[in-house]
Amino acid sequence: MAGRVCCGLIPHLELARRPELTGAPAVVGGGDGRVLAASAEAMAAGVRPGLTLRQAEALCPAAAIVGADPVATSRLAERIAAQLYDLAPEVEVRLDGRAWLDLTGLPLPGRAIAAARRCLRAAAGVEPRLGLAAGPFAAALAATRARPGRLLQVEDVPAFLSPLPVAELDLDAEQLERLDLLGLRTLGAVAALGPRQLESQLGKAGRTAALLARGEEPLPLAPWRPLLVPGARCQLEPPVDDREALLFVARGLCGDLAGALGDRGAGARKVRVRLGVEDAPEESRESVVRHPLSSAAELFGLVSSWLREWRPAAPVTEVTIEVPELEAAGRRQLRLWMGGDGSAEEVRAALERLQDRHGVEVALAVRRALGTSPLAGQRHLLVPA
Amino acid sequence: MPREKLQHAIGAIHVRFGGHALVHAARLPAARPWPTGLPAVDRLSGIGGLPRGRVSVLQGALGAGKLSLALAVLATATREHAHAVVIDRRHRRFDPWIPDRMGADLGALTVVRPPTPAVAGEAAVALARAGAGFTLVLEELPEPALGPLESAAARSGSVVLVVAVGGGRALAHASSLTLELELLGWEPARGRLAGPRSVLRCVKNKLAAPGAEAELVLRYPRGPRLPGAEWPREVERTPAGVVEPWPGASAAV
Repeated sequence: MAGRVCCGLIPHLELARRPELTGAPAVVGGGDGRVLAASAEAMAAGVRPGLTLRQAEALCPAAAIVGADPVATSRLAERIAAQLYDLAPEVEVRLDGRAWLDLTGLPLPGRAIAAARRCLRAAAGVEPRLGLAAGPFAAALAATRARPGRLLQVEDVPAFLSPLPVAELDLDAEQLERLDLLGLRTLGAVAALGPRQLESQLGKAGRTAALLARGEEPLPLAPWRPLLVPGARCQLEPPVDDREALLFVARGLCGDLAGALGDRGAGARKVRVRLGVEDAPEESRESVVRHPLSSAAELFGLVSSWLREWRPAAPVTEVTIEVPELEAAGRRQLRLWMGGDGSAEEVRAALERLQDRHGVEVALAVRRALGTSPLAGQRHLLVPA
Repeated sequence: MPREKLQHAIGAIHVRFGGHALVHAARLPAARPWPTGLPAVDRLSGIGGLPRGRVSVLQGALGAGKLSLALAVLATATREHAHAVVIDRRHRRFDPWIPDRMGADLGALTVVRPPTPAVAGEAAVALARAGAGFTLVLEELPEPALGPLESAAARSGSVVLVVAVGGGRALAHASSLTLELELLGWEPARGRLAGPRSVLRCVKNKLAAPGAEAELVLRYPRGPRLPGAEWPREVERTPAGVVEPWPGASAAV
């Protein structure tokens, strides 16, 4: 396989996180009163990022203009990156809807590409365009030219890049005009000129542009790394054997951890509590939770249930709460912009925890069955929630 | 000097237990009602509905109509909250048929069937803490769960309604609003038993004056509830307490 980097292309994440705008002309306005992103339908009407919103409205009066939410969008990017990270060790997700996976060394790259397609489709609600090439730049350009849901694999990168317009390079308008004046209108022409010559004209950006046009990929991926949250710890002097005091300390630690998780937009998939006890080996307990915990109440709900049953061998000298496995909690924030019951996610998480502890039949959803049956038990079905 | 000591003590409480542990009376938030859509219940509560963030109790003797009234409230809750939860022991076999007939949105309804009272308490506390919009408890909760249930509901603003036959002292203590149903008799219709006729009385209210009462006919649902139909039907009472027949209905028993 010639290519090693796969690029998936979905709409700008500001649009991707609003499935209700799919298929309709829509414009996302940035804080500066300019267009941050536009849907394909709005782009077809001439709207481009960078235009003022007034210009966009004039070009496409039917477009729905919505405000940007950088926090929610970056959380969505985190969530996508976390899912892609399960497929490849080097991934990058950008807010403009481009996501890359470095497939180098993967034994089954085809399977990773298929899984990435499913992941992006689930995140954006539309089929992603996929490109496969030797580097991220060529892969992204291949993706823009692929059909939705299909993969465009580039075998000969210089030949693929050569006829493409210089507008594909990440240069500002003045630099592009300069290239136009020099008669350099395709990447092939830029590649032929050479990096040193172009650097003398455009500076460092020129050198980078020339290398990109040659397919040498001077810009590596900025790989996403999973979130890390250090544990919260409290030393107790003198040692404590009072359960209420331990619960009080644990509540504070859970609050600290929840703050750290909130800063990183993460939820805990695994929670571990360690108790240092006087003149005895440390005691610990840990559990994987099905639904990531991110609030202090959720964390303390789990930790306090352990502490209430815990019988330490001796007075406790130290309490440590760790969250060794995290998950981006972006989807937990969906409720912030979906409206409705603000705690729906927490309620579902609480029900799942009850099912984990006492069996799935402890929480049941109601489904209509034989509504006219004279037997009460046949009218509705109760199935695990 | 005593004032400084008092401020010091208040500061210590805030540091140790949080700012919500000690609040000046003038800064206490007003009770927020959740209108049940049942005029009699809303009126008797004194605030226009069941209080959010509090534990309410519906009690009375067997057959007085507690469950029917509670299920009517549940049906409203399923339409107005993302999550309405019924906590019911396995052997009691809560039947969703009645709330369904009353127009409940079954998609928002979750039935929790705990194997033991302790698990029922744990479930009630966990769901109230998580912020379930409405929790209907058809189970005697253990005393140790009532305190955490109160505080969990207070933090999340969840509406908790407990249906109890008698209710112990601990439940009475935890309750902010206690409504009691007393069976007066049975309502006949076309030669059949239509439902109980009961007095609904507010016997405890931390948020408004208690003591109000209303007389209700709680007809068992036999068909789909029509939009706008009054249920339960409230019977006007004369000052002397004499039951007057509702216009167009059969005479009171």
